[in-house]
Amino acid sequence: MFDRSIATRRQWHWWLALALGGGLVFTALVLPAIAQHRPESRVPTIVIREAVATLAETDRHPLDMPGTRVALPDPWDRTHPNHDGSIWYRANFDRPAMVEPDDLLALYIERVCSNVQVHLNGHRIHSGGSMVEPVARNCHYPQIVSLPAALLQDQDNVLDLKVRGTSLPRVAARQRAGGLSALAIGSQEQLAGEYAVHAFWSVGSVKIVSMVLAVLGVAMIGLAILNPREAHLGYFGWLALGWALLSARVWWRDVPMDTASAEFLFSASFGVIVALAVQFLLSHAGVRSRMLESALLAQCVVMPMSLLLAGPGRLFVMVAAWFVVFAGEVLAASVLHLRLLRRERRTDFWGMAAALAAASAIVLGELAVQRGWVEPPPFQLLQFALPLVLVAVGVRMLVQFALSLQRAESGRVSLESRVAEITAEVERNYAQLAELRVEQVTQAERKRIAGDLHDDLGAKLLTIVHTSESERISSLAREALEEMRLSVRGLTGKPMRLADALADWRAEVVQRLGQAAIEIDWRGPAEETEQLLQARAYVQTTRILREAVSNIIKHSGASHCKVRCAIADDHFGLNIQDNGRGIPMELDGKLDRGHGMSSMKHRAKQMQGQCLVESGPGYGTVIRLTLPL
Amino acid sequence: MKNILLLEDLPEIRAWMKTLVLQVFPGSQISESARVHDAIELISAVRFDLALIDLGLPDGSGVDVVARLRETQPEAQSVVVTIHDDDEHLFPALQAGAFGYLLKEQAREAISEQLNRMSQGEPPLSPSIARRVISHFANQAKPQARAHNIPHVSLTDRENEVLLRVAKGFTLPEIGVQLNLSRHTIADYVKQIYRKLNVSSRAEAALEAQRLGLFRS
Repeated sequence: MFDRSIATRRQWHWWLALALGGGLVFTALVLPAIAQHRPESRVPTIVIREAVATLAETDRHPLDMPGTRVALPDPWDRTHPNHDGSIWYRANFDRPAMVEPDDLLALYIERVCSNVQVHLNGHRIHSGGSMVEPVARNCHYPQIVSLPAALLQDQDNVLDLKVRGTSLPRVAARQRAGGLSALAIGSQEQLAGEYAVHAFWSVGSVKIVSMVLAVLGVAMIGLAILNPREAHLGYFGWLALGWALLSARVWWRDVPMDTASAEFLFSASFGVIVALAVQFLLSHAGVRSRMLESALLAQCVVMPMSLLLAGPGRLFVMVAAWFVVFAGEVLAASVLHLRLLRRERRTDFWGMAAALAAASAIVLGELAVQRGWVEPPPFQLLQFALPLVLVAVGVRMLVQFALSLQRAESGRVSLESRVAEITAEVERNYAQLAELRVEQVTQAERKRIAGDLHDDLGAKLLTIVHTSESERISSLAREALEEMRLSVRGLTGKPMRLADALADWRAEVVQRLGQAAIEIDWRGPAEETEQLLQARAYVQTTRILREAVSNIIKHSGASHCKVRCAIADDHFGLNIQDNGRGIPMELDGKLDRGHGMSSMKHRAKQMQGQCLVESGPGYGTVIRLTLPL
Repeated sequence: MKNILLLEDLPEIRAWMKTLVLQVFPGSQISESARVHDAIELISAVRFDLALIDLGLPDGSGVDVVARLRETQPEAQSVVVTIHDDDEHLFPALQAGAFGYLLKEQAREAISEQLNRMSQGEPPLSPSIARRVISHFANQAKPQARAHNIPHVSLTDRENEVLLRVAKGFTLPEIGVQLNLSRHTIADYVKQIYRKLNVSSRAEAALEAQRLGLFRS
């Protein structure tokens, strides 16, 4: 739920950014171009649709050579097939009447390939660049030429155009075959607008999209270098970058090589681009075939070889044939790619399907254009429309990469926290285990000591008890044995219920006093409590009680004994009172040590308790024991 | 005339016990033994009326002798003679069928009196032992123990009453006064409690042995 909401929010940002960016590009580039094209300011222009064409390489219009009338546009492949070189065109025109006398006039040539020089009334007024090899490549650029007012006559102006071009068989694309479009003469302002729109769609848009594609490509290559597992990013990056570079054939006028070499180079690069495209499609679908890789690599070599073998005169035919082969290869790879994506139910299936369908449509369109079946659209198919698709695919892949990175990151974070949790748990368990072990070892050791005491010391004391001639020694040994037993109990015993301890004490006291014929009145707490008494406290209290009862039996001469037990929240009290003769005072004012009073007090103190003895001749003795629980 | 088994590993104590037993039961036949092994051999050969059995012996525990005697000579009275006064040591012997216990270090007169009482059917019962007996029967009454099909031995209300009072620290004579019962009746209840403890413990032990696969039924 959380992840999804984040994803939707991200998508939101994404669409917003796309809309804003697109809007910016639109306002900055497209709107001005359209704005120039205002229909209301339109003034009729003269359109020259006929000219006299003379095949000549001269610097001036060869008046001595015969010309032929040709219609404009004049695509060379129809009118002058196999002509490489220059053609002089001559046309006459009158100054358009509708144009204000002060208005600037201009000549607008929508298409002239490869280059043009313009002469007006015998004066050269424009040159598109070098007219000899390497010829300036102006095929994709419209031309606008200001017509100087000084040279213009009101009527019968002579316009001479020297067009330098290459025959269709020697170029890779129909767009770069020699030719001249119709000529328009009109207001400079109005024609400049038309020129801008045309220049934008045929060259400007290509430059922009190539730039974007190149940046995207470099970014992807960088990503692929950092993430070697994402091979498809690398292929795509190189594809994008290669395509952007290859699109230079559209806008790069002054290629430093002759037309044949340039055309050959650009065509040969296609093999590499196609190999990259196929590899991208396969690796994105998770397929890798060494055989295919080798075949593609071989194709990159075979294709240029075949072009070389066929010679520059058959470049167009060869390229057209290869173009079909390439289109087939990419189409096959696309179909395989989509099938695999669909089989694996990948989320990017529909996106890729749409992108590939668009790309296929574009490629088919271009194929049709090259075959001459349809007129080329007003924008570049291969250099503008296809890169747009590539940019879309690339951006989508970047987004997916970022998403998977984010998923991996959150996975790593949760894994880390899980590891931390488990580590803490293991440590906790270990600590508990260690504690338990210490306790077990301690317990075992105590048991061993207890066993040794019983078996060894116990047996010896017992022997003394029953073999000694002296009654005093026997009873001392007996007491020692009792002490030992209590010590062992304090050592190994577990905490017991206070109520149980009281029961044990009661049974012992009642039995002993009963044997001594002393009346006993024992009152315990009214209710049974669940409070616990540590073994040590039990043992020490037993000793104190035994000592007290022994004193009563041996020394007090009492006939009656009262015992009271009380339990409070955090302590309990034991009062033992007899009606005997009391404990005689020593000279130093302390009670008789022989009665064990000091050891009773000492034991009580050991347990942070208190043992008070009140006694006086004739008053009996009261022992008040208070112990914390 | 009684046949008495005396199992004790310390020679001095054994000698002392022997004189004491002869004083309490004049003319009785005493078979002495210092080891569990010897005692068990004696049991298979001689019928005893009374057995005084030490718990901690060099070759094992006197509890085994108590159990063997209970099995083979149910009429014989086993009395544990020990320096351990705590229920942890005594209770297993009582479960095995001991009828009472004596603390070795007691004076001659005290031991004589207790021996006499026991031979007359008045075994001692301390609060801590009583508590162990109570929890033993409470465990047996638990549903999971019942599910194990242990032959159910339960105490009567009177027996329970006596046990509870002993556990609270009242002496047997006191309980006799409280319940308005004679000394013999109280002693009978205590004897019954010991007997039932032995019976239910043996059933439990047999079932446990079966569960562990010690013998097949």
